[in-house]
Amino acid sequence: MMLNTLFQANPIEGFFFGSGKSMVVGGVAVIIIVGLGLWMWRMEKRIQQLDESASQHTDSPNESAEA
Amino acid sequence: MHMIQRSWKIGGIALLAYVFWTTFTVPLGPGLLELRNLERAAVVDGLDRKVAAYELIGLGTHWATRPEDLSVVLRKKENLTSLPVVEVIDDTHAVIGLAIPDTLPSRSWDVLINHPVDGTLFLQNGLFLNGVSVDETATWPALTLTEFPADLPHHFPFQPRIFETIRNLMLHVPMWFTMFLLMGIAFVASIRQLSQTSGGSSLFDLRAEASVQVGMVFGVLGLLTGSLWARYTWGAWWVDDPQLNGALVTVLVYAGYLILRGSVEDERLKARLSAVYNLFAFVILMILLMVLPRFTESLHPGKGGNPGFNSYDLDSSLRAVFYPAVLGWMLLGTWMYRIRLQATQLNQKLHRLNDQ
Repeated sequence: MMLNTLFQANPIEGFFFGSGKSMVVGGVAVIIIVGLGLWMWRMEKRIQQLDESASQHTDSPNESAEA
Repeated sequence: MHMIQRSWKIGGIALLAYVFWTTFTVPLGPGLLELRNLERAAVVDGLDRKVAAYELIGLGTHWATRPEDLSVVLRKKENLTSLPVVEVIDDTHAVIGLAIPDTLPSRSWDVLINHPVDGTLFLQNGLFLNGVSVDETATWPALTLTEFPADLPHHFPFQPRIFETIRNLMLHVPMWFTMFLLMGIAFVASIRQLSQTSGGSSLFDLRAEASVQVGMVFGVLGLLTGSLWARYTWGAWWVDDPQLNGALVTVLVYAGYLILRGSVEDERLKARLSAVYNLFAFVILMILLMVLPRFTESLHPGKGGNPGFNSYDLDSSLRAVFYPAVLGWMLLGTWMYRIRLQATQLNQKLHRLNDQ
């Protein structure tokens, strides 16, 4: 069933824009993609900060050893 | 082991790719929109008098293909009567003749059509007749109607009012399923946190926190997408529906969990307090979203006494996309939870190092 759904041809006229409500589906998809994108962007920044802090910690013992 | 860890992530991405592709490419099936009075008379072959002309309007129908095989029937309970097709204008428009007797068993009638390509289509209460006398005992000659499915490739079912937005089922509904899963993970973590001895580690507390944080992302996305869908389907951004109100209260209760965590300084007290709060929050979630909507009238399909998606709400064409969608979004949610947990653990480790 899943493969049939994936590879079928699409002969029905008025497809997707037929009822004039397709923009709602687009809007819902945009909200989800933007929402998850924002979360990932924030996590990326947070992990970067943590990474910097961790590298500072690993650098400081080396500095003291060199001294 | 590393391959297994990677394969479920790849599986999740593949499922979501399939879901997005099919959500936006599988066509909507045909349906009936309206039967409207043209306010003029029509001549029907074989009838010696003129009849009222009505225009039948479809969406995604194929009446111009084999127009001679289009048949239209009015139905009220067991009463069925066939209507003559005067003219098929194009694929989605046809003129129907309606010869109305003086006495009818009802004013309101369901309209059904049979067509070799579109199958049997149904418009509930599609015809309402004014100016006729009603006698509920009056009957029309018995007619046999054989219903058959559409001869079309895989398509999503046509539902009145919802139309193309039925595709949102694959986007909006799994947000809530994923939130349930994440809040369930938090619930289990809180129980394990509370069952530890006082000197136990805070790993379960961190797990609960991370999964509630990610669960809130899905909850807020569920509220926003649901509100947009409601605006175009029910006509308002927010309607007084037990499912909607319950979802909002649940998200606010979990926001309270995060606020509570931020307001307690002592780590051990914070872990125990928030674990107890989380147990109550999950019970509230179950009551507000899973139990109460089934005992009250709700606009949501599958609610109002219906324990789940039935054949009317979710046919096999939707299931082929909906179930992979639920699984795909859940895998993504679990992945996000693991990232969040690792970041929180790293943050805590750095704080400990700073304190030393």
